[in-house]
Amino acid sequence: MDKTRGSSKKFTSPGILKNIHRQKYLLLMLLPGLLWFVVFKYCTYAGLGLAFTNYGFKKSVDFVGMRNFIRLFKSVAFWTAFKNTMIISICNIIFYFPFPIIIALLINELRSLRMKRTVQFMIYIPYFFSWVVVGTIFVNLFSPSSGLVNQILKLLGQDSIYFMANPQWFRFVLIASYIWRQMGYGAVIYVATLSTVDPQLYEAASIDGCNKWKQVFYITLPSIKTTIITMLLLNLSHVLLIFEQIMVMYNASVYSVSDVLQTYTYREGILSGNIAYGTSISLFTGLVSFMLVMGTNWITKHFLEESVL
Amino acid sequence: MNPKSRIKIKESNSRKIFRLFNALFLAVVCIIVVIPIWNVVVTSFAQDQDVMGGVYLLLPKSFTLKNYARVMNSGYMRGFWNSMFVAVSGTALAMAVTVPMGFALAQKKLIGRKIIMRIISITLVFDAGIMPFYILIKTLGLIDTRLSLILPFAVSTFNLIIVKNYMSSIPESLIESAKLDGCNDFMILIKIVLPLAVPILSAVMLFYFVSFWNRYTEAVMFINNSSRYTLQVMLRALVFQSDGSLGEGNAVYDNTKMAVMVLGMLPVLIIYPFVQKHFVSGLMLGGVKE
Repeated sequence: MDKTRGSSKKFTSPGILKNIHRQKYLLLMLLPGLLWFVVFKYCTYAGLGLAFTNYGFKKSVDFVGMRNFIRLFKSVAFWTAFKNTMIISICNIIFYFPFPIIIALLINELRSLRMKRTVQFMIYIPYFFSWVVVGTIFVNLFSPSSGLVNQILKLLGQDSIYFMANPQWFRFVLIASYIWRQMGYGAVIYVATLSTVDPQLYEAASIDGCNKWKQVFYITLPSIKTTIITMLLLNLSHVLLIFEQIMVMYNASVYSVSDVLQTYTYREGILSGNIAYGTSISLFTGLVSFMLVMGTNWITKHFLEESVL
Repeated sequence: MNPKSRIKIKESNSRKIFRLFNALFLAVVCIIVVIPIWNVVVTSFAQDQDVMGGVYLLLPKSFTLKNYARVMNSGYMRGFWNSMFVAVSGTALAMAVTVPMGFALAQKKLIGRKIIMRIISITLVFDAGIMPFYILIKTLGLIDTRLSLILPFAVSTFNLIIVKNYMSSIPESLIESAKLDGCNDFMILIKIVLPLAVPILSAVMLFYFVSFWNRYTEAVMFINNSSRYTLQVMLRALVFQSDGSLGEGNAVYDNTKMAVMVLGMLPVLIIYPFVQKHFVSGLMLGGVKE
């Protein structure tokens, strides 16, 4: 008897069982969420395997190796979509990303607490509007007949531009509306981080003869470094997945500059029903995004000694 | 006057100029944000003849509730209630899943905490994209159901991490002493942690509500039955495809369109001011890893 009990102790280690029993409520609370992650996240990861099959038209599903990817890399439409995605993403990072930081630094310079609050309150509003609402607002703003922007152009003696249907200008509308909607969100997060910087640092610096510019570069920016990098990584993780904004705002006359990976996937995979091929685009997009984030994380780890992930 | 104090006066002058320009610049930014929203509201109250010529209304020329009356009697109200159903039940479900999970993950002694955090944070950086997602929804038989707009969005990794981080900052001694008083983990969550976390939870609730209310792409992908269309889908069709289902049969004027727009922004605009004051306290990023 004693002998068997001893061996069972070794194998099932009742320490853990006891722990599980003690934490049964905690584990119960964890369970629904964990189940959700398994079903709605990890099952979709598993679904990516369909990229190597011919799932879609036929009843039987066969393994076809890299055939979808070969077709993908030979497709002109794919490369156009890839190019457009990269251009829009790079513009987003270059033009959008520094914006909230600058705005937050300026808000931080305001002396009156009430003004700080009011500015944050107002610029945060657009973040809560859907892309449909934001898209409509920009259609109105840039309308060739009644839009505010074209009326200003007319006052300046310029011809009006149909921004929404002009391939040369459409990307500008995309970036502008992105900045308009997201700026306040980023700014509020940076302002919150800035408020945690120890004011004594600034006092000490100004006694040492450090001017305001130097203070920004030697105190302010280093103290919000982690937040900046976190925001950059979060941005990079979904910058290639740009979808809803385009779905709402694009139209036939600007397909050539705004068809992105996700809209291409949607058309090929869901509208045309070529599921396996669509999945191969999804897998490609996901992997490139992942490498982008991991690469950036590696760079910041090695050069800024700061790793977020 | 000694030279040192002169320098100081000069510096404070340049500071004053900087402050003035800074305030002016931020005022301009605020105006750029607010003007287009103001235009929507003003236009939605305007008479037909005031919008026919194609003008960008900044000052109200007239005031009428006729546009809202038109919208109230149209199919757009069904879209509004569809969206409301999805947003309210979605938010309720999301909170019911996220809050206990966040609480459990905030307990350092939790079995397998590190692994679970890994499993969760991977989803922040790797997304399988729309195709596997669509296949999953199809396999689960959720196509054309409102559930397809609720279940898949019951957890946002981002919100979960915000909740978890906030709950980890609650002093452990509070929880330990409740435990000594014979509270189990459920009672601790409800009696001690929830009251302390009201600010962050109201912010997260708003985030969830907004995400359900605003969702567009998935509603287009998953819902084909027009009686289940959400307001955002109908609004997109109205503005971008000049959908003429608003009664008269002929052109829908901008004022009526903008009344639908206001309907689409309304719930968010109503809740936002109440919740906004909690944002700064809770929205600290960082701490994704651990």
